[in-house]
Amino acid sequence: MNQTVDYLAIAPEIVIVVTLLGVLSLDLFLPRQKKFWVATLAVAGTALAAVPLIFLAVDGSTRSMFDDSFVVDSFALALKGLLLVGAYIVLLMSVSYIESDRYWQGEYYLMILSSLLGSMVMASGRDLIVLFIGLELTTGPLYLLAGWRKGDIRSNEASLKYFILGVLSTAMMLFGMSLLFGITGVVGFSELAAVAGDYAAEPAMILAVLFLFVGFGFKVSAVPFHFWAPDTYEGAPTPVTAYLSVNSKIAGFIAMLVVLYLALPDLSDIWAPAIWALSALSMTLANLSALRQRNIVRLLAYSSIAQAGFMLVPFAAAAVADADLAEGFSATIIYIAIYALMNLGAFAVVIAGARATGSGDIDDWAGLGRYNPRLGLLAAIFFLSLAGIPPLAGWFAKFVMFRSVILTGGSGPIVLAIIAAVNTVVAFYYYARVVKAVWLDPVPDGVEVREQTAPAGSLSLALGLTTALTVIIGIFPAIATVFADASQVLTAAGG
Amino acid sequence: MEWFDTWGLPLIVFLPLVGALVLGLIPKEKEDAIKGTALLFSLVTFGLSLVAIGLFDFGADTYNTYQFEVNTRWIPAIDSNFHVGVDGISLPLLVLSCFVVLLSIIYSWDHWEEPRNPRAFLMLTLILLTGMNGTFVALDLVLFFIFFEVVLVPMYFMIGIWGDKAPRKIPGFSRIVETRLYAAIKFFLFTLFGSAFMLLGFLALYFRSGEFGARTFDIVELTDLGASGAFTGTFAFLVFFGLFLGFAVKVPMWPLHTWLPDAHTAAPTVGSVILAAILLKLGTYGFVRISLPILPNEAVRWAPVIAILAAIGIIYGSLACLAQTDMKRLIAFSSVGHMGFVMLGISTLTDVGINASIIGMVAHGLITGLLFFIAGSMAHRYHTREMARLGGQMKIMPIMGGILGFTAMASLGLPGLAGFWGEFMSLVSSYNPLDGLSLTVFRSAMVAGAIGTVLTAAYMLYMLQQVNFGEPGDEWVGHHFHDVDRYEMTAWVPLIIFTVVVGFYPNLIFGVTNDVVTSLVEMAFQGGSITAGLGG
Amino acid sequence: MTHSFLFAAEEIAHAGDGGWWADTAGIMLVSPFVAFLAILAFGKRLRYNGAEFAIGALAINTLWALVLFFMNMTEGVLREPFTFKVGDIGSGLVFELGWAVDGLSIMMYLLVNLVGLLVFIYAVGYMEGDRRVPWFFAAFSLFAGSMLLLVGAPNLIQLIIGWEGVGLASYLLIGFYWEDHENVNAGNKAFMVNKLADVGLLLGAVLVGVALGTFDFAALNTAATEGHAGLSAVAIAGGALLFFGAMGKSAQFPFHIWLPDAMAGPTPVSALMHAATMVTAGIYLMARTFPLYQQMATDLRPWMVAIGTITLFAMGLLALVADDIKKVLAYSTVSQLGYMMTAVAAGGYTAGLFHLFTHAFFKALLFLGAGSVIHAVHSNNMSDMGGLRKYMPRTYATFVIGALALAGIFPLSGFWSKDEILATLGHEGYTAVMWIAIAGAFVTAFYMTRAVALTFHGTYKGHGHPHESPAVMTVPLIALAIPSVLAGLLNIPGVEWPGIGNFTEWLAVRVVPMGDHHAEAIDFFLAGVGTLAAVAGIVLGWLIFAPDRDTQQERDRFEVPVLYPLFRRKYYMDDLAMGISRFTMGPFARFVNWTNTYIIDGIVNGVGGVVYHLARFIYGGVDQRGIDGIVNGLSAVADAAGSGLRKLQTGRVQQYAASFVMGAIVLVIVFVLVR
Repeated sequence: MNQTVDYLAIAPEIVIVVTLLGVLSLDLFLPRQKKFWVATLAVAGTALAAVPLIFLAVDGSTRSMFDDSFVVDSFALALKGLLLVGAYIVLLMSVSYIESDRYWQGEYYLMILSSLLGSMVMASGRDLIVLFIGLELTTGPLYLLAGWRKGDIRSNEASLKYFILGVLSTAMMLFGMSLLFGITGVVGFSELAAVAGDYAAEPAMILAVLFLFVGFGFKVSAVPFHFWAPDTYEGAPTPVTAYLSVNSKIAGFIAMLVVLYLALPDLSDIWAPAIWALSALSMTLANLSALRQRNIVRLLAYSSIAQAGFMLVPFAAAAVADADLAEGFSATIIYIAIYALMNLGAFAVVIAGARATGSGDIDDWAGLGRYNPRLGLLAAIFFLSLAGIPPLAGWFAKFVMFRSVILTGGSGPIVLAIIAAVNTVVAFYYYARVVKAVWLDPVPDGVEVREQTAPAGSLSLALGLTTALTVIIGIFPAIATVFADASQVLTAAGG
Repeated sequence: MEWFDTWGLPLIVFLPLVGALVLGLIPKEKEDAIKGTALLFSLVTFGLSLVAIGLFDFGADTYNTYQFEVNTRWIPAIDSNFHVGVDGISLPLLVLSCFVVLLSIIYSWDHWEEPRNPRAFLMLTLILLTGMNGTFVALDLVLFFIFFEVVLVPMYFMIGIWGDKAPRKIPGFSRIVETRLYAAIKFFLFTLFGSAFMLLGFLALYFRSGEFGARTFDIVELTDLGASGAFTGTFAFLVFFGLFLGFAVKVPMWPLHTWLPDAHTAAPTVGSVILAAILLKLGTYGFVRISLPILPNEAVRWAPVIAILAAIGIIYGSLACLAQTDMKRLIAFSSVGHMGFVMLGISTLTDVGINASIIGMVAHGLITGLLFFIAGSMAHRYHTREMARLGGQMKIMPIMGGILGFTAMASLGLPGLAGFWGEFMSLVSSYNPLDGLSLTVFRSAMVAGAIGTVLTAAYMLYMLQQVNFGEPGDEWVGHHFHDVDRYEMTAWVPLIIFTVVVGFYPNLIFGVTNDVVTSLVEMAFQGGSITAGLGG
Repeated sequence: MTHSFLFAAEEIAHAGDGGWWADTAGIMLVSPFVAFLAILAFGKRLRYNGAEFAIGALAINTLWALVLFFMNMTEGVLREPFTFKVGDIGSGLVFELGWAVDGLSIMMYLLVNLVGLLVFIYAVGYMEGDRRVPWFFAAFSLFAGSMLLLVGAPNLIQLIIGWEGVGLASYLLIGFYWEDHENVNAGNKAFMVNKLADVGLLLGAVLVGVALGTFDFAALNTAATEGHAGLSAVAIAGGALLFFGAMGKSAQFPFHIWLPDAMAGPTPVSALMHAATMVTAGIYLMARTFPLYQQMATDLRPWMVAIGTITLFAMGLLALVADDIKKVLAYSTVSQLGYMMTAVAAGGYTAGLFHLFTHAFFKALLFLGAGSVIHAVHSNNMSDMGGLRKYMPRTYATFVIGALALAGIFPLSGFWSKDEILATLGHEGYTAVMWIAIAGAFVTAFYMTRAVALTFHGTYKGHGHPHESPAVMTVPLIALAIPSVLAGLLNIPGVEWPGIGNFTEWLAVRVVPMGDHHAEAIDFFLAGVGTLAAVAGIVLGWLIFAPDRDTQQERDRFEVPVLYPLFRRKYYMDDLAMGISRFTMGPFARFVNWTNTYIIDGIVNGVGGVVYHLARFIYGGVDQRGIDGIVNGLSAVADAAGSGLRKLQTGRVQQYAASFVMGAIVLVIVFVLVR
């Protein structure tokens, strides 16, 4: 029963908090034209948070406090690293974007940072309460961010939908958690894992799991809980969309997986079929819907739903096959990590592209490669990577996915694998549509090509980072497997 | 030359990629610098491949042993290594791909389809070379898969950007699309579809190999396992099917061939040349390198199916040719027939058959490559590929016509030219395939193949009659045509020479392949000699 | 019935090895190809458009051929074939190239080179001022070279190479005037018919080669005589297939259809093609593999004889009605090839080859003569000729010699070789066939007389003033006339020329000693009957055709009701063949192409379409609108969930909320189902 606080362990979070306060105060007395310092600070702070993280990683020992409800192990570190990188890149994208519509810069970064803070806490959370707090802190600011472009009615609509449905889902999730607590009387994952199995027969338990599911389903916008996503994604400012589709999605995923994997493994025969269905539905329906999209952001929205389906495949497969979850879990984690990087890249391209073409419609991107080859190349890289074409990072995600399913074996997994295989081909088609527009289609007549300015430094940096990571990981996938190794500690913990 | 043992193959594979990156740095306007660099890199790569032949120890070449082997950690997490090496089977194909790409670059010196952009085009060409060489030397399934896929993207862009702009009505669809767009995506989706199942097959092998020690993607180890009868039953049956889908699409085997006529017809000249000369071989090579040695028992079970499909392909492709009005499309369909012979040879699981398939691949690479060069140059001049409109080329452009005539003869398998050996030997081998294979099936296939040679002659003569002979159509009268220019000559003459040399001295190929092929069939199929069992 | 190949064995015993000349005989196989390339390279720049190279090459060859031939006469020349390996294809099979040196090959070397040389020289005059002369001589050299490759082949593989090379060259030369599609068609026809027959050759080679583990002729013949088990298993099939191939090249019924059309090429081509090269290849193959048919595939012999017989008689009849002089000669060639095939099939190894030998000379002579005439009157049709004897005496004289030789008049070469065939047929017991052959002799004499009469007698019906051809053309005629007269003496039954023996013995010099019936004395009865038939033919022909009329048509009035049209239409064989090819291949091709576009590709595109429409349904129907239905069904829930939202501008939220609950319910169901 140790209540001592290990400050090094929470150092990253502390750094973020400090930055957050700094941004808040700085914003108060900086004149408008100097606001970019706020951005700089936010970016710098996020980068700085990585330093203690690295220390911890090098140190390598697992640290836990508050009765093991807050644990800093290599898994948590890996996730935090990912979240930091994600947030960092989103911030880079934001700078020029937010500058362009001039107002509420300070608050914007404030929101992003606090959401980041929430997700980082969540990553370490090892009991329902911390998990819930972290998760809500992650999503709360996003309700506001989604509606950031106040002038734009669609933006408002987006945030409202997001807000209302979000609250609904939160309620359900909370209800589920409380039920869980009511039945078992514990909140810690390890304790839950120990006892949950005994109550497998309880109808209330089913209900609890069910409500948890609905909640998580919303967070990860899995079919059939995805309806908010396309509208919200389209309405929200693009960097926010990027953040939604990466950081908050990751957060939701981690929360769901951690709960299922660490707390409720013994109930797998309850949730396994559901997660299987969730995965299959998300892949198929989202892919088919994506085929119909004309707006590139909406396309990415559906793509990210479909990708969520792919991510779940290994875990779901392992679950339905009653196999050791560890394999599937780590595969899913690898997928998430790679997805995060390439998706961020894709959004960075969308921002730059929207500026270059002055439109978010795929058809208007026609011939982009002709008058802006550099950007065209990046578009090709990221969308082909999302499609899983070697030698870009995406292939390894897909590969690992199929690999773990095959290793699991059994009918359920194989069927899922085949669904996934077919979906991969379908998915290629709409990713290729963007590439086709950019490279194969001629510049539509009557469209006078605006003179191309190099994207803002920060955005270029974001693009550069994501490109480098996507290509390098594609060629040396070994890098990405750190997440797999990291996730092994959990098997030790909650096997 | 110790350095070559470790650096040779990696250089041959990645030098072109480096070249592509270098090209990226050269400003678009400096076209000569760009062409020069591309030429230089492909030249050096080709040179290295020749060095590989020079240093290759033919005496030591035998079943499942490779030379210039490199084997280093790559993705430990999934037990996949960067493992490359060559043997007598891959060596000729490796050289061929370097050779053809070199000639393509020479040819394209002043042949640019719209929208020009030589830099981008040459970059794609070099990336293609990396992908193809990589596939031929890869000894790790994951590595093989990667390279196998890598070639898709550049070819997709080649077809899609520089391809045929003519509008095309897709049967059953109301809307009309440009041929290039339809062809490009069709090519990609077909191959993707195939390779998805191929990948599942690879993974299944990997998974099952775990039962006999450490899980592995290593082709060498898997081959040993396969020879020891590790993979059997429904499992192996399905795995073979998966690989079959992946490779058969690429070959292409009937009825998975329909991407080919569109892709070949739509692609720019160099694109079709590389596509026909090398890319198709990736499929057949996959059969010889992976399916047969790793899953010998399944190969035996599947052989009749393959033989039948191959036979159908031969007849079907040739007949389809007879119905074509578009010269390039005719040549494209001819590939279906020729690759049918290659597959027929492989399916016999005999040393003669596999030798036949390899020389068949090389010959098809030389000859059909040349045919596509010529077709491209002609389209470049006439601005049409409709054979009905052409004619009297011997009057308009005697040299072009002469070369076309020669190549057509080579393509119809005239003895004394490279094309003959592959066809004849696959007939020889299918007369007496591996013991236990149905003689009925294979001898019927042999007869079908023999008839195929007649049909092949028929459509080639038909093409010559339409294009070369007769009086030129009125629309060409008074119209000046520049006969074969010097870049075309430089690119074509080597192909012609090799066609003749291989035609009269096929040992150029057999000398390389025979040892390893013979030991392969002995080890994998305990036999595979076609003269055994008969008479004697 | 089979032979004991003992005959002539002792001649073989002291056969020499040909020494240096045999070692270097390969030169003959290579030089024409060198000439081919040389002409392509420099032909245009030379005075005689490259004929220099072509003639030079064949001159050298002729020298070698003569030397070897004389050696073979005197001591017999037999050497293990010179071979070098070009391919090691596994299963112990090897591909080899090289050159055989034995009686048969030497005879063919001499024939091809000597006749070829004369024809080449003639062609210099004939092609003077024609189109593409260099290309003509290049292709011509290719033609001769391929034929030499063929007759020099020590194994089936090289034979196939030469075989199809000859086919290619003939295709090029028949279609020499390719501006006119008619000629191209003729070339295509020749190539395709041969290609079709080649299927037999290829598969035959496969069967035999796989059974023996080698493609060598020596091994094949040895195995055939020693009763090799594996070979005897495939002897019938293999033999039949090889014969199939031979039928194509040697224009045996029903593959004869290509030969008359092949007249489209320049006349020297026809001369070479019909005399020494190309059409003799089939006969040569049968002779080369003689033991296979005589020792193993004996059951095939009656069929082969039958085909030969049909060819020799039926095709001769066609020559009766042809107006084109070259067509007359063409049909006569087919018919003569029938004689050879019949003889060889019946077991008359020497007889067949002897006729091949003599025929080569007088048929070349006749064609060149015809060419000389055509050269003069600028037409192939005899209806434009007549009375040329006055204008072109040398041509006339030589042509008549050739005609008499062909008709088989004593003592010209044709007489002896035809007599040899008749004798063999009789001796082998094919009496009926023998009488048909005699009837054929009558026909032959008849149509040759007609040709001579219509061409050289009566009055000139053509335009312009014909005149004798230049020396460069007439000299070869004379040169060919000599052997046409004398060649027969080489194999007079019962005659052993001091020091050199006779033709039969020369040909017997083979790895497997080759020998067959060779009459010890002239069978005067047969000779008499044969001559009688010939004379009868001549007399009848003369009576009918000699009397002059105003027009050729009137002279040529000889229209037997049924037969005449039948012959004119070539027994409708061509129409049949053309019909078959037109009405099978075309539709098949179109059908296949149709299936490709609409069935196979239809499926492919169909899948695409399905996905497309599915996507439309899923997105438009389910994802975006389908919710309404659910909502209406669950309005209550919707109310509960969205009570606060009504004021909002956006109408969707309730639906989404509802879908949530739906999702929840779905999950409940899933759970319950699973439990």
